[in-house]
Amino acid sequence: MKAVLKKIVLLTIASLLFFSCGNKQQQSSGKTVVVFWHSFVSSTVPALNELIARFEKEHPNIEIKAQYVPTGDALIQKLVTAIQSKSAPDISWIHSDFMEDLVKADAIYKIRDFSEGKNGISKEDMADIYPSLLQYASWRGTLYSMPMEATNLALLYNKDMFQKAGLDPNHPPRDWNELHEYAKKLTLDINGDGKNDQTGMFLPVYPAAGPLSAWMVWQWLPYLWQAGGDVITNDQSKVLYNDPAGVQALKLWQDMYNELHLSTFTSDYDVAFASRHLAMAMDGPWNLPRYNDILKNLNWAFAPLPAGPNKQATIVGGEYLAIFKQSQHPDAAWEFVKWMTKPEVQAFWAMKSGYLPIRHAVKNVPEFQEYLNKNPNFKVFVDQMEVGVAQKSIDYGGLQITRHIAEAIEKSTVGKMDVKKALDESADKSNRLLSSYSKK
Amino acid sequence: MPGKNNKAGDKLKKKGRTPYKKGDGMSALLFLSPTLVVFSTFILFPVIFSFYLSFQKWNMFSSETTFVGLDNYIRMFQSEEFWQVLKNTAIYTFGTIPLNMGFSLMVAYALNKKVIGKKFLRTAFFAPVIISPVAAAVIWRWLYDPNFGLINWFIGLFGISPINWLNDPTAAMFALIIMGVWKTFGYNMVLFSAGLQGIPETYYEAALIDGAGKWTRFWKITIPLLSPTTFFIMVMSMIGSFQVFDIVYVLTSGGPLGSTKVLVFYVYEHAFKFFEMGYASAVSYVLFAILFIFTMLQMKYMKSKVLGN
Repeated sequence: MKAVLKKIVLLTIASLLFFSCGNKQQQSSGKTVVVFWHSFVSSTVPALNELIARFEKEHPNIEIKAQYVPTGDALIQKLVTAIQSKSAPDISWIHSDFMEDLVKADAIYKIRDFSEGKNGISKEDMADIYPSLLQYASWRGTLYSMPMEATNLALLYNKDMFQKAGLDPNHPPRDWNELHEYAKKLTLDINGDGKNDQTGMFLPVYPAAGPLSAWMVWQWLPYLWQAGGDVITNDQSKVLYNDPAGVQALKLWQDMYNELHLSTFTSDYDVAFASRHLAMAMDGPWNLPRYNDILKNLNWAFAPLPAGPNKQATIVGGEYLAIFKQSQHPDAAWEFVKWMTKPEVQAFWAMKSGYLPIRHAVKNVPEFQEYLNKNPNFKVFVDQMEVGVAQKSIDYGGLQITRHIAEAIEKSTVGKMDVKKALDESADKSNRLLSSYSKK
Repeated sequence: MPGKNNKAGDKLKKKGRTPYKKGDGMSALLFLSPTLVVFSTFILFPVIFSFYLSFQKWNMFSSETTFVGLDNYIRMFQSEEFWQVLKNTAIYTFGTIPLNMGFSLMVAYALNKKVIGKKFLRTAFFAPVIISPVAAAVIWRWLYDPNFGLINWFIGLFGISPINWLNDPTAAMFALIIMGVWKTFGYNMVLFSAGLQGIPETYYEAALIDGAGKWTRFWKITIPLLSPTTFFIMVMSMIGSFQVFDIVYVLTSGGPLGSTKVLVFYVYEHAFKFFEMGYASAVSYVLFAILFIFTMLQMKYMKSKVLGN
């Protein structure tokens, strides 16, 4: 009997061990290993490997182990499990939307403690980084992460189609009226079967509950800002996106969506653009290396986003690095994060990856100036940083508020609901949520 | 009858095996232990833990959970979206089940006759069950495409104007139901086929001699004798379609305008998008309760109609 019991216990332990493969971080060859999680698209990976090689050459005692996790959604889910099972990476990309949860769970360090510490970053260097990026990297005014690179949105357009439609190919739309008018002019039904063979402009309208909903909101926000609006008040007590500016911005989308019959536009916009079925779309610099490669026989260019009734604006995004409290070598991890902010490293990284530098001083790096002159499309993005606005990081309920905006966009475009009504319904939800937080 | 058991024991002894004796339970446990460990780790513990979580608030990041009593349940019943989602799930379920059962019985009945290429056809009808839902969704997205889709071309032959299947709130649920039926009916067809083969040929012969026609034979013999299978399929389909998730996720992502958002998708959203684990667990338990009640009702009111009880 006892022998049998012993066997059971042993077997149980054995099978438990079998199912619990730990993520032990080993010290290989006496180097400090820093694990770094990211979701870079595959075309960026070679650039990342070069970057890491360069870092390791300068820091022979540190080894960076980059681990790829597909899509930002999966990355955050993986981080949750890792935090619970005490196997979090040293450094990871994080999205500002999750900052609230990560901070409350005491999962990440305050980057401020490093940047203002002994091995910190000087005040001048800090001031050189685009403030919009630092604002987005903070939570309730405290810096919790550090931007690694910047992105923004610009307008991609097909010059030949402009020419054919009798538009000046070197005069991309400069304001909303031109955008609207050109988009209609460039939408053609060539064979007269009632279906558009060429679409003037693509608007990224996706199901609000789907995986691309935050991506849709991200691309609508510039229009809100261009009209002079904002998402939320400075004290974060109430949302503002249903103000007249929001109504104006969404009305533009609604009109274009329905006039261009975008509800039947089902192909991926980049494929449609490459196959000459689409004249204009919004896109980011991360696709530049790919477009330079696949759009060789197309006459295309990037232009700044058209200005709105109030001002010119684009959305600034980027990837932010956070250091996890479970890290056994926070100082080595910080070394990498800090090194990433150097102008020459930023220039190197921008030229290799197509992402934008996070600070002004990069423009003084000679190689980078040369690169800008050779790559006018890339220059459009770099210049746009000056009018770039970053999403205010929302302290409470950011995820849900983003979702509410997505619902309003979907209701008014796909559902043809009155814009004001759609925005008000969503804003009510958001405001109820915000007041439920303020009561606590 | 005790005598009989002894006889069986004797038989076993002759074969060199012994009947049950003390200590056997232990070795049985020993052999079961790997399975038991896996089962309790991945099924039993999560089920219990999620019940506990449904009274808690937990965002999965932090290590502690806060007790909120019935808050999650109250919030759920007050949420308009929850009722909308429940309604969508019900529409999907009651849309798929009749179509699914009718279709699978029809195909099984047809394949029970002498048909050329029976084996091939059976495999072909069963194939969608095995196809990965993601691959299937890619195919159906093409079929439903408003501009080049085969389905719009087909209905165009009858003079119906093109439908924007996946971007129109009324059509999307319909599109989802059609794909759901296509994807699952093969499984039920196999079950029905087995049931049909279990009906003795002699019944049909006797009925023929009595002069019963085709329909009479079908209604008076096939349907009643199939009732145990039908009942089983009905219960399983109810449970299955109430828990539909994968095809919704890949085909419509709950859109357009939330018209295809179903319960499990709603749970997924709250658990892995908003990290409201407590709320998601509460919804899961309500889903469990609904299915439990439905199954009980089916057992109570339909069992009497099933033969052999």
